[in-house]
Amino acid sequence: MMRLRVPGSAGTDIGLVLKQGDMPALVRLLGHKDPKVQWQAAEALGTFGKRATSFLIDALHAPAAAVRLGATEALSAIRDLRAVEPLIHVARHDPVVEIRWAAIIALGETGSSDAIPALILFLRDSNRYIRYGSAQALRNLSWQPDNETDGMYFSIALQDWDRVRSFGSAATAPLMQIFRDRDPATRSAIVPLLGAIGDTNSVLACPTALRDPEPSVRWKAVLASLDCGVPSSKLPLMLAGRERTGPNPFGAALLNFLFLGQGYNYLGKWWGTLVFMTYMSCIVLAQLELGPFLPFLIAYPFTAVVGIHTYYLAQRLNDSIAG
Amino acid sequence: MVRKKDIRGLIRLLSSQVPEIQASAVLALGAVGPDATGSLIQALKKKNRNLRLGAIGALAEIRDPRAVPSLIAMLRDPGTEIRWQAAIALGEMGDTAAVPAILEALRDTDKYVRYGSAVSLIKLGHKPAGEPEWAWYFAGMQEWEKLTEIGGAAVAPLENLLRDKDSEVRVRAVRTLGEIGDRRAEPALIRSLGDEDRQVRWEAVLASQKCGIDPMFLPRGLSHRPRQKKNPLIAGLLNFLLPGLGYGYLGKWWGVMIFQIDITATVWLYKYSGEGNTYSVLFPLYLLLGLHAWYITTKLPEEPP
Repeated sequence: MMRLRVPGSAGTDIGLVLKQGDMPALVRLLGHKDPKVQWQAAEALGTFGKRATSFLIDALHAPAAAVRLGATEALSAIRDLRAVEPLIHVARHDPVVEIRWAAIIALGETGSSDAIPALILFLRDSNRYIRYGSAQALRNLSWQPDNETDGMYFSIALQDWDRVRSFGSAATAPLMQIFRDRDPATRSAIVPLLGAIGDTNSVLACPTALRDPEPSVRWKAVLASLDCGVPSSKLPLMLAGRERTGPNPFGAALLNFLFLGQGYNYLGKWWGTLVFMTYMSCIVLAQLELGPFLPFLIAYPFTAVVGIHTYYLAQRLNDSIAG
Repeated sequence: MVRKKDIRGLIRLLSSQVPEIQASAVLALGAVGPDATGSLIQALKKKNRNLRLGAIGALAEIRDPRAVPSLIAMLRDPGTEIRWQAAIALGEMGDTAAVPAILEALRDTDKYVRYGSAVSLIKLGHKPAGEPEWAWYFAGMQEWEKLTEIGGAAVAPLENLLRDKDSEVRVRAVRTLGEIGDRRAEPALIRSLGDEDRQVRWEAVLASQKCGIDPMFLPRGLSHRPRQKKNPLIAGLLNFLLPGLGYGYLGKWWGVMIFQIDITATVWLYKYSGEGNTYSVLFPLYLLLGLHAWYITTKLPEEPP
């Protein structure tokens, strides 16, 4: 049986609980605030073997992520085939990536071929940890890709980019699918590959990369654009269509128009609050003299000009291609 | 000033913000020679960082062996530039008595200090003895291929590099640990899975597999990564007490606008409807806004690991 080694020791007497065979107590300890105790509890539960399986399957639904993670680790050590379906469910639906990843590794440890269809699907996941874990688990289960598509996803999951390139234009579709990965490093690795493949489909993919929210991916796309057949003259236009991640110019302008200073504050200027407090004090003092509306009527033409200025200021901040 | 041997005046100039003036003062004090050593050693105890940097530079120019213990003490200064300058100065002094201290400085957490120490060791004509000492030297020089060639003896210096603030250094260190493939790197690699930098975490996954670490250790290691998720309770409470600021906390630009509109509306309602009516209208609304901010925070997607 695989043993989870525990780094260091912890104050809680896991040994005593283990001797008493108190599995519910150990499951509770999986959620202990000390990570070492969590780890020890997971290891201890693994030593119970198949007797602990049902407890651990129940613990996979615990609200605390640490308990679910520990239960997955223990099930991985026990390797009970009854855990395959619950682990597939966790790998599909758990909101925490680490737990999904652990469940996938545990599926590889069970040695059950029943897990293979699910693991093949996880090769297409949008998270690189899930894809990598699935490829490792499939390898553990001695799986060999029986078609080119699965083989490509398998190579992408292992980030074996040389092998992916060798598939040629057939790799474009899987690469575009994995391009959804929220990690920019993966997208950065994919863009040059699409350029190197350089077929009709990858030509269509390059503009997507040019509009990526991440500056490093956009730059890779610019470098790959010649291979993709994108004319240099079209690059600025394509880049201009990118998703802007900076401050909203309209929001900044509206804030400064209505609440002078808050727009600057929104743009990250520390003195925005100071301007706002001064403006509000002036308005209140003027209201005491002139009534509730006249001060605003006097102020608005001025704040409108400031609002327009803020709009252009925010646009400039938002406009850097380099991010 | 040099002719007059105005050591005090020259030391005062060391704290100048103008690099040219400071450099001239360093050279002038160097020209004064060992007569300035005592005052410069005293200047090392001052708080002004520029002054201390200049004093170390001047001591390196003078090369008076009496300054070596004070410069060695500077290797433990909390300021990175001071430690770096001291390491370089000790190399300039040419006194091999500083070698043990410089070897210790190779274990610094800062790449500048380590690099300065490695260069100084060579300047002092010191040849590292045995693989472990070479490994610390190569870690200081950031010679990754040499570290890979050394193998197991390089694990300790590479672990030390994982404490560096520069994530690029940590990425390279983790990658090199993977290339070495020594199982003793396991604790360091598992710690690196919880690194604040995304690329370091991923490299730690790849390296751990090359070191033969059980994959089941990895998700727990990754679960220790810092998370920047917004707190739903804070968002909810802010929106309940100061409607709009909960949205502002979530990065919505219009949160402040809602806050201001609420203040204006409250004042007007208070004036025309009285206290009781104002609160009976606004309290349920605030509750709804608080619940809404709490709800949308719980649904925010987590940062990818």
